[in-house]
Amino acid sequence: MAAAENADRRRSVLIVDDSSLVRLYYHGALEKAGFAVEQAINGIEATEKVFAHNFDLLIVDINMPGMDGLSFVRDMRRRKEDIATLPILMITTEAGETDIVDARDAGVNYYLIKPVSEADLIRHVTALAGTPP
Amino acid sequence: MPLIRRDDPSPTDARTPRGAGSPLADLESPDIEMRWRAVRSIAPESKFVASLAAALERETAPRVREAIITALIRIGDQASAQALLPYLRAQDAGVRTAAIDALQAMPDATAPFMASLLGDADSDVRILATELVRNMPVDTATSLLVRLLDRETHPNVCGAAVEVMIELGTPDALPALRACAARFAGTPFLPFAISHAIARIARAAG
Amino acid sequence: MASHERQAEALITVTAEDVLRLCEFVYRRTGMLFDDSKRYYIDRRLTERMLATQSRSFQEYFANLRSDAEQEIEHLINAFTVNETYFYREDHQLRCMTSNLLDEVVSQKALDEVIRIWSLPCSTGEEPYSIAIWLMENWPAVDRHNIEIIGSDIDTRALAGAAEGVYGERALMRLSRAIRERYFRPLAAGSYQIDPGLRDSIRFTKVNLVDTPSMAEYRNIDIVFCRNVLIYFDDASRRLAAENIYDCLRPGGYICLGHSETMSRISALYRVCRFPDAIVYQKPEADNGSR
Repeated sequence: MAAAENADRRRSVLIVDDSSLVRLYYHGALEKAGFAVEQAINGIEATEKVFAHNFDLLIVDINMPGMDGLSFVRDMRRRKEDIATLPILMITTEAGETDIVDARDAGVNYYLIKPVSEADLIRHVTALAGTPP
Repeated sequence: MPLIRRDDPSPTDARTPRGAGSPLADLESPDIEMRWRAVRSIAPESKFVASLAAALERETAPRVREAIITALIRIGDQASAQALLPYLRAQDAGVRTAAIDALQAMPDATAPFMASLLGDADSDVRILATELVRNMPVDTATSLLVRLLDRETHPNVCGAAVEVMIELGTPDALPALRACAARFAGTPFLPFAISHAIARIARAAG
Repeated sequence: MASHERQAEALITVTAEDVLRLCEFVYRRTGMLFDDSKRYYIDRRLTERMLATQSRSFQEYFANLRSDAEQEIEHLINAFTVNETYFYREDHQLRCMTSNLLDEVVSQKALDEVIRIWSLPCSTGEEPYSIAIWLMENWPAVDRHNIEIIGSDIDTRALAGAAEGVYGERALMRLSRAIRERYFRPLAAGSYQIDPGLRDSIRFTKVNLVDTPSMAEYRNIDIVFCRNVLIYFDDASRRLAAENIYDCLRPGGYICLGHSETMSRISALYRVCRFPDAIVYQKPEADNGSR
């Protein structure tokens, strides 16, 4: 894609979190900031969506029932190239020191600690996904 | 026609032979498949909880861990729930979520531990415990969560409790929710979550 | 609809948020997932159930559902899954089988090894027969392999029906005229019987998904179709069924669930495989050790 077209394109983000409230919160903040946003409740729905659309960033919560966030990230990193290199922002809790090491080992690009303010979210999403027009 | 039908099962269909020793002995085998078969062949009876709990402690293979947890869920008594409680504190996020999934599957066995889990010193344990409250009857659940909101200092725990309130909170919870919102005014996420919960409960009350 | 029913329906208002609450609850209990495109459909089913339970509000219905008195969860799931079986149901998974899965299966087996496909539960046989017909119609390699199709169910009456292979118009509604003529012969008005050669080449057996010894008689299965049944199970049974199926599969074998289903604790046992036509779950070829 030409650089100019790429710059004009709306950046799209997928939020992966089992909490509908958290998804709603991030969704609102990201949309206000000009991102296109989709949601997934678990790693399986997220996998389906990642293959169906081109996302610029995944936001993944570490604590999810069924398939936890790290398992999902590791799974993504094993997939074919464009998906294996997708930027991933992980949301963790502060107590999880080993979580952070594990997250880095799994191939997460960056992590944020809950609760995440709107301003922090936008700043880091912009840094990882690119500036929306 | 390429379809074939075999009414006499071939030798490869035969039952998989058991391990050399008894299932309880095979729980300690160095071989993953051996341990898997051992766990799955143990009858779901209370007398095996201690052995299963000990096996869970040692187990590193994810599928064997899941099979042990399935066995504990099938037994589903208080001893089983008790065996799973320590895993709420595990370092590994996958193990923690495995433990909470298991406890969610046995609400009756878990009920006696709820008050203490909701008051645990570890905030992550309190967060996981709020998920378990979902499976409780509405009145018990609401009063447990109201008590928690009244004294909770950690915003993520409040957030988790508020989330559960949205599903089953009654108007009795409104004062505690408002007080919590006031305490955490200006912090990220929680005021948003609480106003959402209040609106939902008020609408539901009609 | 009678006029009093129309009036009752008019009084029931269900908000988008009510639907969201419901979907979350159903997801947590059953693993069934509905995306936004299904919202209107869910709205209709929810209203039906509210009328059927004489609930005057969503709150009343939801409280009833949560307590699961009178098995409302099962009634709701039935309403959602359109509990009706017909030929070529969810054919995107059949397409996935012939477009992707069988290539993988064949590459993992010796040339003359039998390919084993299991429909479980098979109910009155529409699914295993659909698999057979689809294979013959859509898989170019079908004549180069021996394929064994097994249909199993806990319900012996359904199995008897499957073995008989007689179906009504509705069951055949998705089949083209050409396929009907090729694989069925008409009996009395509106009734069709599956070709006897096809009928007799499928083995029907009684099996209980959660009975481990019963399941232990099946091994080295390449593809299991286990659609729209795990959602009815409680957590313990669902886990046990998933573990039993694991042992039935050959390493590298696949399991297909119903379209809206997700399997919990999936990553410990199965790999999630995403193909163009479907998401399926694969038993790993080998253990990865402890992680």
